[in-house]
Amino acid sequence: MTQPPIRPDGATEMVRRTVPPGRRMRRTAAPWLLLSPALVLLAVLLLWPLIRVLNLSLQDYELRNLLQGTNDYIGLDNYVQVLTDPFLWKTVLPNTVGFALVCVTLTMIVGTVVALFLNTLGATWRVLCTTAIMVAWAVPALTGTYIFVWLFDPQSGLVISTLDSMGLMQPGSVNWFTNRLTFYGIATINVVYHGFPFIAVTVLAGLMTVPQERYEAAAVDGANSWRRFWNVTVPAMRPIFAVCIILSTIWDFKVFVQIYLMPGGDGSTREVMNLGVWSYTQSFAQGEYGMGSTIAVLLTSLLLVISVIYIRVLMKEEEL
Amino acid sequence: MNRQTLRGQVLKAIGVVVLICLSLFPFYWMISTAVDTSPLSRGASLLPAGFTLNHFEYVLVDAGFLRYVRVSVVVALGTVLISGAVALLAAVAVARFRFRLRTQVLVMVLMVQMVPLEALVIPLFLQARSLQMLNSILGLITVYLAFSLPFAIWNLRGFVAAVPRELEEAAYVDGATWFRMFRSVLLPLVAPGLVATSVFSFITAWNEFIFALTFMQDSSKYTVGVGLRTFFTQNSADWGPIMAASTIITLPVVIFFVLVQRNLAQGITAGAVKG
Repeated sequence: MTQPPIRPDGATEMVRRTVPPGRRMRRTAAPWLLLSPALVLLAVLLLWPLIRVLNLSLQDYELRNLLQGTNDYIGLDNYVQVLTDPFLWKTVLPNTVGFALVCVTLTMIVGTVVALFLNTLGATWRVLCTTAIMVAWAVPALTGTYIFVWLFDPQSGLVISTLDSMGLMQPGSVNWFTNRLTFYGIATINVVYHGFPFIAVTVLAGLMTVPQERYEAAAVDGANSWRRFWNVTVPAMRPIFAVCIILSTIWDFKVFVQIYLMPGGDGSTREVMNLGVWSYTQSFAQGEYGMGSTIAVLLTSLLLVISVIYIRVLMKEEEL
Repeated sequence: MNRQTLRGQVLKAIGVVVLICLSLFPFYWMISTAVDTSPLSRGASLLPAGFTLNHFEYVLVDAGFLRYVRVSVVVALGTVLISGAVALLAAVAVARFRFRLRTQVLVMVLMVQMVPLEALVIPLFLQARSLQMLNSILGLITVYLAFSLPFAIWNLRGFVAAVPRELEEAAYVDGATWFRMFRSVLLPLVAPGLVATSVFSFITAWNEFIFALTFMQDSSKYTVGVGLRTFFTQNSADWGPIMAASTIITLPVVIFFVLVQRNLAQGITAGAVKG
């Protein structure tokens, strides 16, 4: 037992004693009580399945295992098999990583240019334009993909019809969905169209916080608008660009619907598979849940690395 | 000088027109195909050949799309109600209390949003199968809670933190209990945030595809996204009805989204943008 310290003015330290123990207990228990439903749900629906998928990735798990309730542990065999498969290195990984890199780059460029443009507009026009790009953002990935599939329909889509009327190509002479490069070209347009509004709106919000005096000072120093962008805007906006780039990377790595719903994207054209589709079809079309889990674990670890970087950037920027 | 500003104005006007047209074009193409009398022979013409609601009628009445809409609405509303309540409690905890592990809880809430659905769909499918929860609306709602909760907590946390603490203290001074204060002070003040969060939970559930596809194998339990696939046959697609059904899926989302747009960017970047 320590004596309460005597303060210079002679009064004993009473601060701790004024809170009765019962209420202090309540004060510590209250946040956990409030959090418990959310934490229980997240634990059961996210953490537990993650542990389970890790466990499944070490097994040769097929539908019969599920029916009989048996396990069939094979160690790291699935990993060896996936990682030594040329299909992973020649097709799936380039499709996933290359596609994500191209999409992130294009999304960032388009989004930033649009934001810089919106920043020069008056309030009315800016609100009008923002609302228009919000529509692009809001169109669900699901229906957005079908719209682009329809635009690029090889028989009667808008693109082939336009090329036909210019005398460049006959309808039905080419199917863009069977070629890997054109398939991903269309997917890129789809993903960038869906993703640039978020970047534009976020960067625009950031641009408005850059002090106007810095631009004026740079202009006085004789910097043109290109120099002003690189020397004033970019340094001031670094944290915002960092968050945008990392979030887009995370989103573009796990693109699934936009690929799966395109013709041939559901696994029937093996050339255009990415990690997500490979994992899904391996599990639900082939019934090899163990192998599918292994691929899913690889995708998750890839995302985990990017996420950790994201959290660190975010923690540096603000107190959570 | 005057000529230069005029040129600037014209360039800006062109920029505005191009931006608006490009942003809205896919949306326009969907709706105009949906009401076109002969979409497959439309070619490159920007205007539909005629106006008809036949595709909508076919989709809703003959093809039974209304049934899928009903399933999706029930699933989305269930998700909104439960996740809104659970997230609000959690948001109060992280915005109003300083406790040990608080930062860790917040980081976890951020991290779980990064988990790819493809990694969760396998174990959750196996679990749902052994619990006989496949083809169950309740099962799908439960799964969607996991996806909507992290963003809802994160978003609501900002709204709760924005309520001045003095208001709460004033309520206590007036002799209110915590629950009384919660009901009469906090709840009304965070109501706008709750509405915005609900809209996003609704959209999350309404748009979700992978789990709906995997869990709902009985065609009477299809959601709109899975139901849309039934309009495709091998190697051919009748784009009129498909675009009509797509319009039915897209329109509510776009309207909701534009209405609550202002909250979104703030919610996702979570204060990374200050000011």
